Amino acid sequence: MKDAKASAGPVIEFRSVAKAFGGKPVLKDLSLAVGRGEVMFIIGTSGVGKSVTIKHLIGLLRVDAGEIWFDGQRIDQLDERGFYPVRRRVGMVFQNATLFDSMTLTENVALPLRKLGGLRMKAALEQARVRLGEVHLTEFADRYPAELSDGMRKRAAIARTLATDPEVVLFDEPTTGLDPVSARRIDRLIRELADHRGATAIVVSHDLTSIFTIADRIAFVYQGGIRALGTPAELQASPDEVVQQFIRGKSSGPMETPGF
Amino acid sequence: MSRRGEGGRIAGLFEGAGAAAINVAREAGGMVMLLGSVLRALVPPSMDGRELVRNLHKMGNRSVPIVALTAFFAGALMTIQSAPFVQRLGATSLAGWAAGYAVLREIGPILIALMFSGRVGANNTAELGTMTVTEQLDGLRALAIDPVRYLIVPRVVAMIVMLVALTAIGDLVALLGGAALGKAALGIEWTTMYHSFADNLGPQDFLQGIWKSLAFGGAIAITSCHFGTTVRGGAVGVGRAVNAQVVASAVSIMLLDFFLTYMNI
Ligand SMILES: Nc1ncnc2c1ncn2[C@@H]1O[C@H](COP(=O)(O)OP(=O)(O)O)[C@@H](O)[C@H]1O
Ligand SMILES: [Mg+2]
Repeated sequence: MKDAKASAGPVIEFRSVAKAFGGKPVLKDLSLAVGRGEVMFIIGTSGVGKSVTIKHLIGLLRVDAGEIWFDGQRIDQLDERGFYPVRRRVGMVFQNATLFDSMTLTENVALPLRKLGGLRMKAALEQARVRLGEVHLTEFADRYPAELSDGMRKRAAIARTLATDPEVVLFDEPTTGLDPVSARRIDRLIRELADHRGATAIVVSHDLTSIFTIADRIAFVYQGGIRALGTPAELQASPDEVVQQFIRGKSSGPMETPGF
Repeated sequence: MSRRGEGGRIAGLFEGAGAAAINVAREAGGMVMLLGSVLRALVPPSMDGRELVRNLHKMGNRSVPIVALTAFFAGALMTIQSAPFVQRLGATSLAGWAAGYAVLREIGPILIALMFSGRVGANNTAELGTMTVTEQLDGLRALAIDPVRYLIVPRVVAMIVMLVALTAIGDLVALLGGAALGKAALGIEWTTMYHSFADNLGPQDFLQGIWKSLAFGGAIAITSCHFGTTVRGGAVGVGRAVNAQVVASAVSIMLLDFFLTYMNI
């Protein structure tokens, strides 16, 4: 493991991944490699399979075909138990926050600190407050998720995932539903994760501002695979009209948007 | 009605029965798997103490009044049922036996388990079901916290402990109910009733009910957790799961009761 860690290869790699639900193919042949310390954005229309793609990385979904590699280890064949060590190193912030509604924000953030970090309740709660401060939620620390706005819940969920300092963080639409100020703060936080803590971030997003300010590279998912991959500048210069239509947000063009 | 229509209806009936049998087999299989992972998670026995205490409190606390009420009337009813014989034979010393035997071994554990399933089991399915459809269970897994260890095991333990405790409490209240009715309707003195209980009922009568409540508690726990964690399809799915839980729990309580009584445990 140590050697693999030091190697310069990608930290995460999808190799020809296919996934269908009830006979309906979502991913057909998706290949993507993400480098260590990189901020990789995954973009594409709603329902194209972005969430499905990243859920495979922590074993919440299983591939029908293809391989997934994490840090030199093939992980797509692991069983539920085998995925726990991976989940300790790869954190995920869900699209819908998924905070536990029976707990206050502080208790939510303290949970992984107790269970994984091995902290006692008191120390965990103290550290949870610090973490909530980082996402500007100190004054709401003792509230329950149901009493807060979507944006606040999402920020708390980010604090909870980052509490145990995972090496790779998967963000599923972290700025959707946030006001512009909060959204830019989240952008900065993600960038700092990569720049100062050496973490790798995979960000599913529609937020063009985020995409073009903090992405190292962008992967554009279309019809079950990666249609385009490159730096923001490369994508902006892409001759592909489907890519151009998406990143310019035009309602008409060659792009096929099933179900719409 | 035409012949074909009738034949079609009968074929449909078989088809329906077949599909239902497959469904039952699938759910039962799921429950066995869940039981397996709960047992595996109990070795070595480590559990989140906070979740355990929270569940014990939530499940036990507000169940006592309803269980006491049910048990009181169950005991009283058993006395009413036996009253004609007791009076005809003038055997007031047997009044306590008639009421107590049925209450301790059968009526008490079953009624209390059914109440418990309707209140605590349904609540548990709804809560876990809502957590499932809002991805809170996947959220736990993503945090590398095993939902079986963290959420399910404390609930299973809490339900078993609480149902056994409630059954013990209910037994006492039911005997009190039987004695109260004996006094009010039949004029049997408290002391006569007490001696009738003491002379005719042994620890094995009490223990059989307690063993049963242990099994019922396990069945309600596994059933309600299984249906809660396998919910599909939003709020509608949660409603369906709660329904299925109540039915499946009642059926398993009856089946278990039959086997436990038959094997005379
Ligand atoms: N667990 C699931 N069961 C069945 N279908 C699913 C499941 N998860 C996702 N899907 C389907 O897969 C497709 C892609 O979903 P998703 O990855 O969530 O889209 P998005 O790109 O907007 O994140 C959608 O059509 C969705 O209905
Ligand atoms: Mg999504």
